[in-house]
Amino acid sequence: MSPRLLALWLKESIALLRDRHGLLALFIMPTIFILVMTLALRDAFTPGVSIDVSYSVIDLDHSPSSQALVKRLSRSASFRTTPPPADLTAARDAILHARQTLVLVIPADFGKRLLTPGGTDGQPPQAMTLLVDPALAPALQLAFRNQVMAALGAVRADELSLKAGKLFGLPTVANTGERDWPDEIRSEAVRGDQNARLPSSVQQNVPAWLIFAMFFVVIPVSSIFIIERQQGTLQRLRAIGVPFRLILSGKLLPFFVVNQLQALLMVLVGMYLVPLFGSEALELPGSTPLLLEWWSVSAAVSLAAVAWALLVASLARTSEQATIVGGVGNILMGAIGGIMVPKFIMPAAMQTLAGFSPMAWGLEGFHIVMLRHGDFADLLPSLGKLLLFALLALTVAIRLNQRALANQS
Amino acid sequence: MLHIDGVAYRYRDAATPALQGVSLQVPAGGVYGLLGPNGAGKTTLISLLAGLLTTREGEIRLDGQTLSAVRAAEPRAIALVPQDYAFYPMLSVGENLRFFGGALGLNGSLLKTQIDSAITFTRLEQVVAKRAEQLSGGLRRRLNLAIGLLGQPRLLLLDEPTVGVDPQSRHFLLDSIAALPAAGTTVIYTSHYMEEVEAICPRVAIIDQGKVLIEGALSDILQTPEPRLDIALDRAMPDDIARQHGAVGEGENRYRLDLASASALPRLLDQLAAAGCGVRQLNLGQHNLEQVFMRLTRRSLRD
Repeated sequence: MSPRLLALWLKESIALLRDRHGLLALFIMPTIFILVMTLALRDAFTPGVSIDVSYSVIDLDHSPSSQALVKRLSRSASFRTTPPPADLTAARDAILHARQTLVLVIPADFGKRLLTPGGTDGQPPQAMTLLVDPALAPALQLAFRNQVMAALGAVRADELSLKAGKLFGLPTVANTGERDWPDEIRSEAVRGDQNARLPSSVQQNVPAWLIFAMFFVVIPVSSIFIIERQQGTLQRLRAIGVPFRLILSGKLLPFFVVNQLQALLMVLVGMYLVPLFGSEALELPGSTPLLLEWWSVSAAVSLAAVAWALLVASLARTSEQATIVGGVGNILMGAIGGIMVPKFIMPAAMQTLAGFSPMAWGLEGFHIVMLRHGDFADLLPSLGKLLLFALLALTVAIRLNQRALANQS
Repeated sequence: MLHIDGVAYRYRDAATPALQGVSLQVPAGGVYGLLGPNGAGKTTLISLLAGLLTTREGEIRLDGQTLSAVRAAEPRAIALVPQDYAFYPMLSVGENLRFFGGALGLNGSLLKTQIDSAITFTRLEQVVAKRAEQLSGGLRRRLNLAIGLLGQPRLLLLDEPTVGVDPQSRHFLLDSIAALPAAGTTVIYTSHYMEEVEAICPRVAIIDQGKVLIEGALSDILQTPEPRLDIALDRAMPDDIARQHGAVGEGENRYRLDLASASALPRLLDQLAAAGCGVRQLNLGQHNLEQVFMRLTRRSLRD
């Protein structure tokens, strides 16, 4: 081992350990982000969990069929149910004063005409009415309508099977309203090796904020680098004969190790701390090859992050410049790369834009391993892009230094 | 022996060269003073010697070898102590020395020996564990020097090593630097403090606008062949005496006179006594360095 490289590594490690703000940015900030964002987005990632919007039903029919509909709706709906208003006027008033969001009105004779197509009995069709708070998101209005239609379809099917059974002497089952029809939908995430449940919020958020945190090595890297430049230490090292690429190598390994420690800490936060706040625990892939794949993504993200940090440090003349270029650059990469806002909820154009963010390449890599359990070949595009980015950033950093020296002379 | 022969250097896009035709002979085992006003070319020359810039015209040889050959054969032969505190403020004195020792390629017992020796030489024993950012100006200068000594260089380049320190630290640093040639180190010392250079440099060069104005032994430079007299009086010199001896006022009743010969001095003193002028200070045929410096570089401000 070269004593010069060893000395550079040791110096960098001590300097980093004494940079309290840098450590805070690297370890505490992402921990808080993971906790807050995992809890905030907990339900957004899990279809079928309850939505914090309530509805009530005014049943003007009071027939077994209308009651079956109410029952089915309460069993299947993701919306919370609240006690019904006394009448239509009270319902409208409750919605006007934001006490109620959705009120479903079941008309009289609903049960009698359940199996009668509209107008075939000579009477005008009587539709169910849905009173809606106009401030409610259209997607949620539509979701509730669909759930009502689904419940209605099930009630009709129950009624039909009961009547048909009686007619043809087939066996019928009492309390059909309690039973699920076999064609109800169950969601499954498709993975490489097995089919399992969809990812939870923690499985999306831990890798996302880990990548974000890794890129924040830009703060300590550039703060040490700028001190070296301003104090004349870089010049002294050059006079000693330490080449610039060795100085960069001296920074690469300590910060790579820091990134891996961040990865370990964030995984532990996801596995043990997040569940304490009532969310699901992070699950890492169980097999060794998948764990190695996970680590290879983590290593590639780290190389890209440290190389980017070295590029920013080479560009910036003051620590203020480094904070602005590095910090804002990271936030932009995070914003367009699906860190802050998950990529799948972005419009198509933004999803295309996300493809240009190194953070998105890292996140894609983690998702391939954690969610789809893909093999190494599936990872190669993400890893390739990250490593190419790292190489490019390092080359530009070295070129910038050469140009600065040439300008000095 | 450091041999600088006809060195010229022009920075990219600069209108005038930073150095032109600089030739100096720096004998081995001494402290060589390099003087000049701001922008004279001192830092450029030091940068060329330190390997931070590359010589494009002229030649620099240390003991007969080009500097690049010296560095290739003996990477620690030349050391620079820059004017900046070029070390890590967040590291302790000991950690800084270990780092720069390692960066010089030292390890094991040699590293330890060199660190101990540098600490002892600069008397940093009491602050080895203290962080550099907590040191006083004087201790920082000593640490800066100690780092320069780690490689036991043959040629040590000191760029204004006493800026911003108290008189006690300055004297300690000067004594330490003056003792370096005894250990086989040749020192090139740049400073704006003329009395420091007079105190520790047996040979000096004064450069300005990229050219060597004078070079040689300090005693020769301070010696003037003509009987030049510097005199300070307790009152203004009467006009007739001043006219007769060609006295030039230098303010505060100080005068410079170019006497026709040394024998003219007793007559002048008699005339002054007769006019009731008391003599406070008198210097014949010997200048101090500041006077030589100011005479050679003119008095105009440089920045």
